[in-house]
Amino acid sequence: MSAPAPIEVAGLRKVYRQTTTGEAVTAIQQLDFRIEPGEVVAIVGQTGCGKSTFFDILIGLEAPTAGSIEIGGRTPYGDFDGFRGRIATVFQQDRLLPWRSALDNVRLGLEMLGLPEAQQVERSREWLARLGLGDFLQAYPHELSGGMRQRVAIARAFAVQPGILLADEAFGHLDEVTASQLRDEFVGLARANGATAVLITHQLEEAIGIGNRILVFGKPATLLADVRLDGYGADDTALLREAIQATLQTNRIDPRLLQ
Amino acid sequence: MISPDLGGTPPARLPREAFVALAVLAALWETLARLSPALGIPAFAVPSLVRIGEALTKITPLDVAVTLARVLGALAASFALGVAGAVVMYLSQTADRYAKPIVRLLMAVPVVSWILFAILWFRWVEFRIGFVLVVVCAPVFLIDILDAMKGVSRELREMVRSFRPTRVQFFVKLMLPATLPAILTSWKINLSLAIRVVTIAELVGAVTGIGHQLAVAQELFSVANVFAWTLVLVVLLFALEAAVNWLEHRLLRWRT
Repeated sequence: MSAPAPIEVAGLRKVYRQTTTGEAVTAIQQLDFRIEPGEVVAIVGQTGCGKSTFFDILIGLEAPTAGSIEIGGRTPYGDFDGFRGRIATVFQQDRLLPWRSALDNVRLGLEMLGLPEAQQVERSREWLARLGLGDFLQAYPHELSGGMRQRVAIARAFAVQPGILLADEAFGHLDEVTASQLRDEFVGLARANGATAVLITHQLEEAIGIGNRILVFGKPATLLADVRLDGYGADDTALLREAIQATLQTNRIDPRLLQ
Repeated sequence: MISPDLGGTPPARLPREAFVALAVLAALWETLARLSPALGIPAFAVPSLVRIGEALTKITPLDVAVTLARVLGALAASFALGVAGAVVMYLSQTADRYAKPIVRLLMAVPVVSWILFAILWFRWVEFRIGFVLVVVCAPVFLIDILDAMKGVSRELREMVRSFRPTRVQFFVKLMLPATLPAILTSWKINLSLAIRVVTIAELVGAVTGIGHQLAVAQELFSVANVFAWTLVLVVLLFALEAAVNWLEHRLLRWRT
């Protein structure tokens, strides 16, 4: 696995210019925070608050307008190729390639890394087996259920053994039982592999249940609250949910989160 | 869930209805051929099936091979040009904006005009025919492939880019397989187009090939020969389409 490194977000700002009207739209107002190696962090915010824009900048698919995201001192956008195999992503939909079998979909990232074919196959088989899909190696995506397809997507991300794992609303479209199971598997595997995990979600239960920490984004994206969950007990779940809900609704930090 | 059949849809075979329809058509033709003198139609204009069959036995394979080689050679060149143009226009919006009007203009020029230009511009017959075929087929490949490339979903492009592929990996692992169905469809369209165009080009300016033999048959007032060569053209087209269908079945078996 690639060595985990801290993620440092400093003065991050993103402004789009609408192609039709030319009007400037602020997606990210200002973001400053640091995520330590091995942390499991949930990011919550209202729909359209800039979470996915932040996600695209974090992956390196987009450049910020101002400020920076640095991982181990390097920017994912500027040093795009340098992060090959270091960051892997599970997207909102499974995004499997329909012409590839489950095994070949998992191999995709390993092919980019240029691993020997035998190693690609072995590692892909291993990850699919760990996620309960050992009997479906040659199945095409259209032959699998939604939950199975998302498992393949998770296996694809873990197979490259990245130091940083990202999930963008990866479980929100699944039924509650499957979503909960996959979420637990994702976080469990990330922890077992010592990876830093960042999960973007709009579901508060999900955010409270998975991580060490919740970053609450305002709209447009600013950091309204940085909630360290180790300061709260199991009995505080309802309070946390209400306080974060209030923060999101008022776009201002709720005093109950200031403890 | 796993479906029992992983082989995909088999390629279409000629159904029984097609055989029946063709047999009925042949019977009607034969009846017309026998009744033509009584109907006041000259006998040579509606040859019997026997006479068409006799003409078919005199088909010269060399002319068929020459036409086939011209079609396949020109399509290969057109495909290479079409792919290259599509990749450049996909990668550069500026190239796309400047090149697209020219491509559209080329596509709007009638085939007959291209043949006349070729006769006026070039002396070598093979080059004339190749030029006409390429100038007609390459823009079709280019536009079909470019449209297919632009149609690859943003979600899949982002997913593949998130693994940080090289430019070559991006095209080989995503764009090529994603556009393969459109590429094969474009080949089918261009095969049909090329067979038609090569026939006209050979008819006007060649001394070999099926088009030339059609011109000879017309000069000899041999309707049976025209029928025979036309049948060869139709069978050739069906055979080439069947080959592409077979390839499609092999390469796109992942589709339901």
